[in-house]
Amino acid sequence: MARRIRIYDKKRGHRRSGSAKAGSAGEAIFFTVFFLLGCGGLAGLIGTFVIPEWRATHEFVPHRCAVLDMRVGHIQREGRPFYRPEIQVKYDIEGETYVVWTYDVHNVRGNGYSPDKLDAQRVLRQFQAGHEYRCWYDPSDRTAAVLVRGLEWWVWVTFAVPVSLILIGGGGLIYRLVSWGKSDERRSALVRKAASLAPFEPAGGGLDFPNVPNMYDIINSPGTTLRYRLPMTASPFWALAATLAACLFWNGIVGLFVVFAINGHVSGAPDWFLTVFLVPFALVGVGLIYYFVRQLLVTTGIGPTMVEVSDHPLRPGERYQIFLSQTGRLRVNSMEILLVCEEEATFRHGTDTRTETRRVFEQPLFRREGFEVHRGMPFENLCDFEIPPGAMHSFKSPHNEVNWNVLVRGDVANWPNYERSFPIIVYPGEGGKSR
Amino acid sequence: MTDSNITLRFHANGRAFHPGEEISGEYRFDWLALDEIQAVEVSVLWYTDGKGDTDMAVHDFRRISAEEGGWIDPRRPGEFRTVLPNSPLSYDGAILKIKWCVRVRVFSERGKEVVGELPFRLGAVLSVKAAAP
Repeated sequence: MARRIRIYDKKRGHRRSGSAKAGSAGEAIFFTVFFLLGCGGLAGLIGTFVIPEWRATHEFVPHRCAVLDMRVGHIQREGRPFYRPEIQVKYDIEGETYVVWTYDVHNVRGNGYSPDKLDAQRVLRQFQAGHEYRCWYDPSDRTAAVLVRGLEWWVWVTFAVPVSLILIGGGGLIYRLVSWGKSDERRSALVRKAASLAPFEPAGGGLDFPNVPNMYDIINSPGTTLRYRLPMTASPFWALAATLAACLFWNGIVGLFVVFAINGHVSGAPDWFLTVFLVPFALVGVGLIYYFVRQLLVTTGIGPTMVEVSDHPLRPGERYQIFLSQTGRLRVNSMEILLVCEEEATFRHGTDTRTETRRVFEQPLFRREGFEVHRGMPFENLCDFEIPPGAMHSFKSPHNEVNWNVLVRGDVANWPNYERSFPIIVYPGEGGKSR
Repeated sequence: MTDSNITLRFHANGRAFHPGEEISGEYRFDWLALDEIQAVEVSVLWYTDGKGDTDMAVHDFRRISAEEGGWIDPRRPGEFRTVLPNSPLSYDGAILKIKWCVRVRVFSERGKEVVGELPFRLGAVLSVKAAAP
């Protein structure tokens, strides 16, 4: 069946996918606009700032001038006042006297305004009427003279905007042009070839096991009882710090508005709209505080959980040992270790990027109820487990993953329940066979 | 397998292979004249299907282009041959499926593209439904 350019190709499951060619053309136009905007902006900046300043620095002739008068010049732009320093100077060249208002090369060109009046006044305080100063005049137009040369730092910062646009637009455009008319397979083969030439180790399981995640982070910590100590998926302290940051950020902003609202009520001029509007935001803030306190209790009250495994990577059908150590001072209602496998899919939904996780395997490895953990006497348990024969290996691609984890779940008296996750990497079985 | 007027088949029987195993087969299309063919691309690849955006990676890729001096004779079957990698294995999950196939893409001088696919399984991972306790 022949393929032509179509705006919509076909419906894939519940999604409609667009035409690849129309998409490529759209992207090429998008990146071209970025690139042209960047080029235009860069040309404008060079023409406005760099070339005049370069001329003032390299072509203007040094001279002496006397300051006669000073003022803050101002104009109105879109209803807003803008200011610049203006200094009247007098200088003689070959018997001819010139009197001009100036400061820098931008003044000479009729620009140099900024909304900061204080800055203009600060500049004028550096000069005194009646004194002589060094100046530079334009040999091709002796009525043009400047008292200062050199670009201010912020001018160079403004270059970041057009340069970014050029890099993004140019890079995207080059990629689009290079891949234009090439099939998905050919592009993928080019990417694979480029990746194989890269000087660094490819991400994942390397060339031997493509798309199996890298296990270096898991085997770089030796255990005390078994061979490897597994790292936690997310350190509880980082999770706590992130919760605290979110809590402070949200409640800081909401708190400001709450103060405004309370002040209104105290001063007898209540703003009821603001007050009612703030209620849901304040409730979210209270929720964040509750969540933070809960996290704090779990992190500080329940001691570290350590999990060690007898070997790594793991393979389907093979048996291993797992060691659990739970420190703290706890009265445990129940504690269990689970072996879980989850699929994770990332997809675009409109302009959003969403991730869905589905647990496809869960096996209890150990469970104990009603015991106590004493300070300095961690609870320890060693048990056997097996990766199920025929199980899927760990997998990672840009939008899809299969992740295996050891999950420790605790129900502790007078404390919030907690769950800590430890990733493991499962490799394909020998020869890819089920055992 | 016949799809879009391209016929593909493996030399061996069956559609299930193990990592490290060599697969070979042939493809055939005889509905284009010799001077109408611009290029033929033969890929052994995997792609994902399911809830997430589609990921795809080519394990083996070969392009024969008339412009670059490649000789494409539609009257004779073309061949493909490659050693399969260790991963990723074919997988039939809940929200993710990993599928392997041999894909032949024919480009004609008139700018048309025709694609034929021959799916196969790599490895023997149980589907999520089959593995469920």
